[in-house]
Amino acid sequence: MIRLVKKSEVTRYSGLNSVAIAGFIAFGTGCIIFGLLGVNPLTAYTVMFKGVFGSFHSFSEVLVKATPLTFTGLAVAVAAVMMLWNIGAEGQLVWGGIFAAGTALFLLPEAQPYMLIPAVLVTAAFGGMLWALIPGVLKARFQVNEILTTLLLNYVAIIYMEHLFYGPWRDPAGFGFPGTAQLPEAAHLLRFLGTRIHLGFPLAMLCAVGLFFLLNKSSWGYKVRVIGKEQKAASYAGFNVTGKTLAVMAISGALAGMAGMAEVCGIHYRLQTGLAVGYGYDGIIVAWLAGLNPLFVPLTAVLLGALFVGGEQLQSVLGLPSTISLILEAALLFGLFAGKAMQQYRLVFIRSDSIPERSPAGRPE
Amino acid sequence: MTTPVISLSGISKYFGTLAANRDIHLNVHGGRIHALLGENGAGKSTLMSVLAGRYQPDDGSIALHGREMRFTSPAQALESGIGMVYQRFMLIESMTVTENLLLAAQKKIGGSNCRRLISETAEQYGLAIDPDKYVYELSMGERQRVEIVKLLLLDADVLIFDEPTAVLTPVEIDAFFTVLKKLRSADKAIIFITHKLEEVLELADDISIMRKGRVIISTEADRKQISKRQLARLMVGRDVVLRVNKEEIPPGETVLRLRNFSGADVHGTTRFENIDFEVRRGEIFAIIGVAGNGQSGLVSAIAGLTRADSGEVSFAGSTFNAREWAKAPKDDMAYVPEDRYHTGCVGSMSIAENFALTQIGKYRKGATKLALDWQKMSEDGTRAVEEFKIKAQSAQDTAQSLSGGNLQKVILSRELSRNPKLFIAEQPTQGLDISATEEIWQALLKCRERAGVLLVTGDLKEVLSLSDRIGVIFNGRLLDIIDATDSDQIGRVGLLMAGVTS
Repeated sequence: MIRLVKKSEVTRYSGLNSVAIAGFIAFGTGCIIFGLLGVNPLTAYTVMFKGVFGSFHSFSEVLVKATPLTFTGLAVAVAAVMMLWNIGAEGQLVWGGIFAAGTALFLLPEAQPYMLIPAVLVTAAFGGMLWALIPGVLKARFQVNEILTTLLLNYVAIIYMEHLFYGPWRDPAGFGFPGTAQLPEAAHLLRFLGTRIHLGFPLAMLCAVGLFFLLNKSSWGYKVRVIGKEQKAASYAGFNVTGKTLAVMAISGALAGMAGMAEVCGIHYRLQTGLAVGYGYDGIIVAWLAGLNPLFVPLTAVLLGALFVGGEQLQSVLGLPSTISLILEAALLFGLFAGKAMQQYRLVFIRSDSIPERSPAGRPE
Repeated sequence: MTTPVISLSGISKYFGTLAANRDIHLNVHGGRIHALLGENGAGKSTLMSVLAGRYQPDDGSIALHGREMRFTSPAQALESGIGMVYQRFMLIESMTVTENLLLAAQKKIGGSNCRRLISETAEQYGLAIDPDKYVYELSMGERQRVEIVKLLLLDADVLIFDEPTAVLTPVEIDAFFTVLKKLRSADKAIIFITHKLEEVLELADDISIMRKGRVIISTEADRKQISKRQLARLMVGRDVVLRVNKEEIPPGETVLRLRNFSGADVHGTTRFENIDFEVRRGEIFAIIGVAGNGQSGLVSAIAGLTRADSGEVSFAGSTFNAREWAKAPKDDMAYVPEDRYHTGCVGSMSIAENFALTQIGKYRKGATKLALDWQKMSEDGTRAVEEFKIKAQSAQDTAQSLSGGNLQKVILSRELSRNPKLFIAEQPTQGLDISATEEIWQALLKCRERAGVLLVTGDLKEVLSLSDRIGVIFNGRLLDIIDATDSDQIGRVGLLMAGVTS
C-alpha cells in the first residue's frame, strides 16, 4: 500500500526539483507517444534536439517563439501572484495586436520609426490593458469570477479581430486573402543578426527584470504579495484590494498586449489568422513552470519555445504531427503539479500486514 | 490498577531536526480523566496526534489493551476505538447535524433508525443536540457536542480532547464538565489537553505534565496534595507570578470616544447598538462579553475594517461620523486582531516581512518612496525577536513556523512599535500558555503608560487582572461600565455577561 504523507518542511531547492520532475514526466510521456506512433523515441528526440540546437538559425527561432511567451508568461504571473487567474492573455494579446496594427495602418501611417515604434508599443499595451480591465472591474467591483470572464472574453477578442481583417480592415490589394495590408516599414521592429529575433525579445527581458523588482522589492509589490497570500491580513493592514486588483489586471493586460504587438510588428507585419495561436494559454504554463518568479519566466519561455520548434521538426523530418509538442506541453504541466505535490508530500510504502484490524479479541468487553 | 487502555512507550516524533516528542512513556486508564498539561509548544498536540493516527511516530510503540498497534491514519485509530476532538472542529457547516454524523459513521448508524440512535446516544451522556439544525447555526459548545456524539457513535472508548474549553463560554464549560464525568462513569478513557490549571484540579484523576517534548511527571491527582502553584511551576520550570503587579497611573486625556455607535459584524448578522464609552491614556478599558454578543463587529468598526451604520467617533482630537471614520487615517491606532493566524500575519512570509505589515510606510525609501528598505525591516524584525524572546532561529523564519504564543508576540511587538495613541487588543491571550500570557499582560500594562488600551476579551480573569474600567457587552449593548476598584460592583461583571442586570 502506498500513502501520501505530508512533509513537515519544504526542502530547499525543491522548486528546481519539481521542474526536473516535470521534465522527466514529459520526457517519459513523449517516449510512450513516439513508441505508439512506431518511431524510436531516441530518433525522435534526436530530431527535436537537432532541430533546436542544430544551428544558430534554428535556435534563433526558439528565441522568436520565446518572445511572446515571455510576455504572456509575465502577464499570467503578475496576476497569479495576487491569486488572480488571468486565463485571458490570449484575448489581451489579440487586442494588443489590433491596436498596434490600427496605429501603424490608420492612425500614424506616415510617421517615422522613432515616432511610430513608441506609439505602437504604447497603444498595444493600452489595448491589452483595456481588455483586461473588463474582468478587472467586474472582479473588483462585483466579485465576478475572473477565470470565467477572462477566458470567455478571449473568444470575443478573436472573433472581433477576424471581423476586422475579413471586413473593414481587409487589404484591398490582397487578392481576397484574409488579413490587413502590410504595415508600413516604419512599424517593423528591428531584427538582429539576420534572424527573425526582433526588438521584442530584449523588451521582454527588460519587462521580466522590471516586474521582478516591482513585485519583490517595492512596497507596491509587497502589498500585492500580501493580498495574494492572505486577503484578510491585507484588509487588516488597510491595503486597497480593489485598487490593486485593477492595477494588477491592467499590468497583466498590458504585458499580454505587448505580446500581440511583438507578433504583429516583429513577425507577421499584418493582422492575420496566425496571430491567435495560443501563446496566451501557453503563458499559464510558462508562468507556473517559473514558479511565478518573473526572472525565471524567460527561461521557461525558452523551454516551451524549444518544444514548439522541436515539434515542427518532427513534422518536417519524420512526418509526425507537430501537435505532439502540445502533448509534451501538457505532460510538462501535469508533471509540474506532480512535482509540487512531491514537494509537500512524500510517498510512504506500508506493508499491508502491519495495518491493524479491530478484532473483538483486542478489546475486552 | 488494571491494565491501561493505552500504553505509550518510548514515543519520539521529529519535525525536521526539531524533536516535538522525545521518549515518551504514558499510560491511560479506562474510567479516568487524564489531564495532559503543558505550555504551548511543549508537544501535547503532537503526542495526541500520534496517538490518534494523524502522525506516525519516528520511534516507540503504542499498545491498546496490551496489544501493539500501528496507525497510519486517523480512520484506523478510530476503527480501534481512539477518537480525537480537535480544537478546530471537523464538521461541515452547510450540513445538518444528522448529515454530519451520517457522513462520519455511515457504517454504524446508516439506515432508518439513525435518528433514534443519535438521540439515544446524545441523551445517555447529557449531550443535548438538535439533529435537524445546520452546523453553522450551532454555538461552539453545541458543535463540540456533535463531535463527541460522533465519536460515541463510532464506539470510541478513548476520547482525546485538544483544549476543549478554549472556545466555550463559562456556562458551556460547566455543561461540558458534566458530560466528561458521565463519560468517565461509562468507563471511557479520557485524555484532556489543557493549560488551564483550575480545570485540571477540578477534573483530572491523573495528571501528566509535558515540557519541551518530554513528559516530566505523570501522577495520580491528589487534590489535597497538589496546588495550582506547584502545577504551574512544573509546567514552565520556574515560578510564575499569576498576579500582575499593576502600578497606579493617573489617567490622561481621552483618546477615543464613541457616541451612539451602531453597526453590525462583517456578516451583517450580529449587531451592536448605541455604544457609548471613552478610553483615556493611562488606562486599560476592557470590553468583556461572551463571544457572539456584538463585540467583534464593534472592534472591527472601531479599527475601521468595517463601516458602522451610525454614531460618532472622536479620536485623538478629531471627530468623525460613522462613514468618515471608516476612511479616516488610523496611523495612531494599533490593533491586535483576534485571528492571529490569518488576519494578524501572513503565514508564509518571514517575521521581518510581517513586521512591516501594518507600518509599510516606515520602510519606504528612495526618492520615489517606491522601494522597500529590506535591511531595516530585517533589523527591526531581529530586534523584536530578541526583545520579546521570540523562539525563532532568525527574523527570516516564516510566521507559520512559530507557535501561537510566539506569533502573538511578533504581532504585539509590531503593533507596539508603531507608538500608537490607542492600542486595541482583541482576545490577546486566547489559547496561550501561562508564560506567554504573562508576557503579553505585562506588555499591555506597560503600553498604557503611553497610550489608551482597549482590551476586548471574554476572559474574566484577564479583565480583573488588567483593567481599570470594565464595560460589559451583552446582546449588542453595553450594559454597564464598572470601575475595577469598586469592590462592591465588581462581582456583578459575571452576572452582566449572562445578561442579568438586576
